[in-house]
Amino acid sequence: MKKVYISMFVLSSIFLSGCSDDYLDVNETESILTEDIELFNSNEGAATFTTAVYNKFLDFSMSSFSWVGMTSIASDDADKGSSPGDTGSDKDLMDALTYNPSSPSTSEIFRANYEGINRANRAISIIPTLDKADANIRERLVGEAKFLRAFMYFTLVKAYGGVPVIDHVPNPASEEDRLMQLTRKTPAEVYAFIEKDLTEAAAVLPLKSAYSASEKGRASQGAAYALLAKINLYQKNWQKVVDNCNLVTGYSLVANYASMFRLAGENDAESIFEIQGTGTVPIKGIAGYSNIQGARGAGGWGWGFNTPSQSLLNAYEANDVRKNATIIFAGTTLYDGRVVPTTVENPMYNYKAYSSSFTDAWETDTNIKYLRFAEVILMKAEALNELGQTADAIALLNQIRNRAGLANTTAVSQSDMRTAIWKERRVEMAFEHDRFFDLVRTGQAAAAFTIHGKTFVTGKHEVFPLPQAFIDEAGGLSTQNPGY
Amino acid sequence: MRNFILSFLALILLPAYMSGQVIKGKVLDKDGIGIPGAIVLGTTSNANTDTDFDGNFSINATNGETLKISMIGFETLSIKASTSFMTITLKDSQEMTLDEVVVIGYGSRKKIDNTTAITSLKAEEVSKTKVLNASQAIQGKAAGVQVISSDAPGSSPSVVIRGLGTATGGRTPLYVVDGMPTTNINNINTNDITSYEILKDASSLAIYGTRAANGVIIITTKQGKGDKVTVEVESFTGFRKPLKTVRMADSNAYATYTNAALGTNTFSTNQPVNTNWLDAITRTGNYTQNNVSISGSSENVKYFFSAGNYEEKAILNGLDYSRFTFRNNNEYKISDKLKITQNLSFTSANSTPQPFSAFTSAYKQSPIVPVRFSNGSYGISYVGADGTSGTSGSSFNNVGNPVSQLDFNDEEQRSVTLQGGIKLDYDILKSLKFTSQFNGEYYTWKNYNFEDTQAIWQVNNNPANLSSIVYPDDKNINQLTKGRNQYFNWNLSNYVTYNEVFGDIHDIEVTAGIETSIQGAREALTVTRKDVNPNSNYWSLKDVNYVGTVTSYKDEVFNETKLASYFGRFQYKLLDRYLLTGTVRRDGSSNFGKDYRWGTFPAFGIGWIVSNENFMANVKGIDLLKIRGGWGKLGNQNVPLNNQSYSSGLSYYTGGSILNEGTTINSQIDPSLSWEITEETSAGVDFEFLDSRLKGSFDLYDKTTKNVILFTVPYITSGINAASPAHVGEVNNKGYEISLRWDDKINDDLSYWLGGNYSNNTNKLSSLQNANISPIKGGGLGNGQWTKLLDNSSVGQALGSFYLYDYAGVNPENGKMLYYTADGEKVTQDKLAESDRNYSGSILPTSNYGVTVGVNYKNFDLSVDGYGTGGSKVYNGKKAQRFTGENVEASLAENFWTASNTTATNPAPFNSVPVASTYYLESGDFFRINNISLGYKLPLKEGFINYCRLYVNAINPFITQKFSGFSPELNGNGDPYGTQGIELDAYPTLRSVVIGANLKF
Repeated sequence: MKKVYISMFVLSSIFLSGCSDDYLDVNETESILTEDIELFNSNEGAATFTTAVYNKFLDFSMSSFSWVGMTSIASDDADKGSSPGDTGSDKDLMDALTYNPSSPSTSEIFRANYEGINRANRAISIIPTLDKADANIRERLVGEAKFLRAFMYFTLVKAYGGVPVIDHVPNPASEEDRLMQLTRKTPAEVYAFIEKDLTEAAAVLPLKSAYSASEKGRASQGAAYALLAKINLYQKNWQKVVDNCNLVTGYSLVANYASMFRLAGENDAESIFEIQGTGTVPIKGIAGYSNIQGARGAGGWGWGFNTPSQSLLNAYEANDVRKNATIIFAGTTLYDGRVVPTTVENPMYNYKAYSSSFTDAWETDTNIKYLRFAEVILMKAEALNELGQTADAIALLNQIRNRAGLANTTAVSQSDMRTAIWKERRVEMAFEHDRFFDLVRTGQAAAAFTIHGKTFVTGKHEVFPLPQAFIDEAGGLSTQNPGY
Repeated sequence: MRNFILSFLALILLPAYMSGQVIKGKVLDKDGIGIPGAIVLGTTSNANTDTDFDGNFSINATNGETLKISMIGFETLSIKASTSFMTITLKDSQEMTLDEVVVIGYGSRKKIDNTTAITSLKAEEVSKTKVLNASQAIQGKAAGVQVISSDAPGSSPSVVIRGLGTATGGRTPLYVVDGMPTTNINNINTNDITSYEILKDASSLAIYGTRAANGVIIITTKQGKGDKVTVEVESFTGFRKPLKTVRMADSNAYATYTNAALGTNTFSTNQPVNTNWLDAITRTGNYTQNNVSISGSSENVKYFFSAGNYEEKAILNGLDYSRFTFRNNNEYKISDKLKITQNLSFTSANSTPQPFSAFTSAYKQSPIVPVRFSNGSYGISYVGADGTSGTSGSSFNNVGNPVSQLDFNDEEQRSVTLQGGIKLDYDILKSLKFTSQFNGEYYTWKNYNFEDTQAIWQVNNNPANLSSIVYPDDKNINQLTKGRNQYFNWNLSNYVTYNEVFGDIHDIEVTAGIETSIQGAREALTVTRKDVNPNSNYWSLKDVNYVGTVTSYKDEVFNETKLASYFGRFQYKLLDRYLLTGTVRRDGSSNFGKDYRWGTFPAFGIGWIVSNENFMANVKGIDLLKIRGGWGKLGNQNVPLNNQSYSSGLSYYTGGSILNEGTTINSQIDPSLSWEITEETSAGVDFEFLDSRLKGSFDLYDKTTKNVILFTVPYITSGINAASPAHVGEVNNKGYEISLRWDDKINDDLSYWLGGNYSNNTNKLSSLQNANISPIKGGGLGNGQWTKLLDNSSVGQALGSFYLYDYAGVNPENGKMLYYTADGEKVTQDKLAESDRNYSGSILPTSNYGVTVGVNYKNFDLSVDGYGTGGSKVYNGKKAQRFTGENVEASLAENFWTASNTTATNPAPFNSVPVASTYYLESGDFFRINNISLGYKLPLKEGFINYCRLYVNAINPFITQKFSGFSPELNGNGDPYGTQGIELDAYPTLRSVVIGANLKF
């Protein structure tokens, strides 16, 4: 009996003595506490913060259905596709330019880019504090994060016009940071911020050739200059376009256009910056990218969205090799031997999103090529032409045409040359997420959409609506884009 | 100790183990009617038993020994035992109901001396409804308690006591099962329960301060009694069908409607096939339950064993559920001063889950598609040139074949819950008692999910005529996911209770104690492999390393939660009429930052037993009248561990085959987060009139949660999308509750009762202080539309309010749906702005009510229970979610706008996603008969079987509802800003008919 009393007493005393404040401390096991920053104080640890920024580009919200909707389906290169009644939540509205501030696609892209910017801001603020990591590596990692931050702000400013510039991690208690988060900047201010980031990135990033084979996908100095050139192009700073294009060195056009959009062409000699998907285990691909654009129906493998438009098909000259490299036609055999039967729902699909090995998988080995040397050549050609050096521009343009199996351009005058370059950009870069913004940039939008059978309202459709949720949060600090 | 165990075993194994002689008799009331349940105690032999349903008893006592016969409501009588049949008449007690006791947490109290609002339910009131989950059994039985249940086997109902006080914090009440605090009672066999005490007001709840804000339900399981071994058996079996279904369009109506929507003649209006998909995926469900219990007691030991088995073949094809429960409750009297109570329960549950989304697929899939084509392959939604469904043509919707969806779902879950505890009661002095109680709960769960990837691909991609398309050889043949899950929770409390009466008039009871509760770290292991052996026996071979086929491996340990508490209670009774209770509890929780951990939760209650006053002595007709009231403060700590941490797993390849790990910070944490605090003021009256035939109570309360925790998301442009908890608002619940019951006995053969309860609650978000919160746009339908809003504009609305566009009817000119703008203009949906939305009512009902009626006539008994709610809204999500090519309701297909039917109430067919509007919002009011029970007691002579009642139950036989969908009782994911109140993938409410028997040996 005594034993019972003793055990009772012991039980109670254990509890009583344990009941100090430390007793209530529990160890976090679900995620790593920020106070354990020391775990990341190494080269590998520092790199994880920049890796997380790249990782954002694999998200469905960032690079997939909504992004395809805004950049391709909304443009004159593509139609909604899929079954007539399958709206893909709002892709019918994207196609018809009837989206509104509550449309999921435009809201999702806005959110996703700011999520990526948060990751970049974290990397930029945390990495310099990791003193046990190599200083050069830290500098490069911050440079990569700045490149990616600039890339995302460029997406935002192209798509929405002036947006809030979040240049550091906001403090929730700071009124200044509250205003920063809710107040739109002018497009010029956003562009200035992007240029600053890219200039700083270019100064510290290595050449692509200096990266090891397994790091070719990182942002390089060439990528920074190429993006800088593109930003100058959007601002019509023609001389700066030429200067920055000239700084993009070590790249060349590959002989076979079609090869670039297959596994073998990933990070090839022409590639300046692309988003990396891998379909083998451990799988890390762009969520849904191949699937949503895959052929639909019997014998198909996807949802069938984003189908090439008649307008795009008509844009290819006879014998242009790029047509069959860009468009999958129903009833044909693909390069890997896959037969696309005529029973699929739509006559054409996007070839550049096709993965041979992981055809209908949600995450595949398909990459998105965002910056290619061909574009650098075209940007330089356009800028030279605008600067009156049309002859030089013609030589550059012909490089692109000849690679595509076409004869030299017949354009001679500056204005014919301008149109020729714009047209070349379209067929060269179809489905590479450039067309909609290019139409707006060059002022061709209203005319092009008339041909495409859609109505582009000048003064409204140059930019997409800001998310209603953002306007609600801003409570008067920011106003909606005109017309929405 | 060994002797003790041996004798204990002997007791179980040898029911014939007896001494002395058998004394038989019958206990009657003043009208000569047998009193069931009276306790008969031999004062020298210590033998005891209780009387059966007719008042008969037999006790193993000695001739001439004094027997003490006691029963609540009667005066205790002592009488000498005699060998001849004894007929004993008990006198009515003057202190009716005074001895009835309620469990109040860390003790018990005579009901009459209790100052708080506690609803006490006895097993007999609850166990008649044959349901699996113990909390479903109390639906409609207690005023102020709303139970939203689902008939899906193994599901947990939502229980809301006195209105919802929190939006995103923990919403479930705390269950205390024999002293073990837990949040889920799926493992408790309803048949093992002897009583439920539902603590409703802050005054009673404060003793559980930490986790009491959502109410507490104390469950006490059975103990052994009587001096002989009693074996009880209860068995039933029954059939189940959906209570209400929605009539869908037939194939020709579908074709007409869809053609109109597409503006084509794609579909023939003379369809050869007309599939009823709901019939195709469902079957008549059946279920059986068998329970056996063995109980008894001796001088020093009381024992209770029970084993129960529940098997259900659910209405959804392939969904089977079974549960086995075992319980052993023992009480050992070690010495005059020391008592040890031990309980142990073991529950194992097996199920083969099926996706409830099959109900949605069945709702949507077109009736023109056959379950299987004539060639044997599963029907898919392809329409051919002849306008009928076939293996070729073009796909016309994205809905899979619901039957193949179920056929290919190969999943199994098994869980084991072990719950047990030991309690020591030690009388230090006559008036001072020490109690130490330890309880533990161990849970382990495992599952597998096998996906025959290749076969599923064949179904969807390879109709017979497309055999040229072959399955890519680089794809997985199949995929197997296996999961393991386990945790161990424990609780230890130690307290002393001092009880003394001073000067005959001052009755004082003081309780003080300490407690700790640990919710252990939950461990979860989930592994996914590809290309496994198709024979499930060979999934886990010995000595085989599967690393090459692993596609996902997750090994998680979730944060544990610790609580430390001090509590005290003072109860004072003066002159048997004036009552005062004071409670204080101080709690510390590991979930909060170091400086914000501790909270103090005080409460008090007062009571006046008016009927004990001298001036009431001569008042006829009033047997009890008590007025009580109180105030208290409660806490809710149900938030995640509030630490700033890194997000991991954001990995990326940078151009090679090396996967780089990625890390970032995706949260904003408020370090000052602390307890959610609820304050409540309440008052009530308890009464019994007319010889206690009419009993009832009335309660009023006003409850405010001052610093409601909501999960808020920072500004969009901060780029942080992880929600974190913050104190943002104030929620108020005000209401009243009435319960009344009339019991009467007309003669020996006929008695009856009639009872009911009604409660009314007004829920209101009374303020939102934190301007920085992002709006919660909840109730998403999965098609880009959301239906519920919580932001600064929601102040003054109930929680769970819908925020929708006002539907303005059909445009008679073109059949399009019109909506009101804020300016009152009627426009089509593309012209709407978000500011045109309005609050349109909440998913929360304003009233709940229950009724019960019963008659006992000779050996027959009949009872009817009903339950209803009023004032809630539900959203017809299945209807609102329709995409092109999917089926529609018959009511819509039969009457929609066309150029020749411009006055139709339903709009012209359309394919675009409709905006969230009041067109799809319907009243959630319903009244349902929950249970009709008819029993017949066989007139048995003394024998091997002492008691046998046969019964037939009809569960949910009738419902009146306004909702046009399946069921207005929609728990969804249990989140008022999630799918609660929205019919999507919902399991229908079932109508069941059950036959069964209770036997006693």
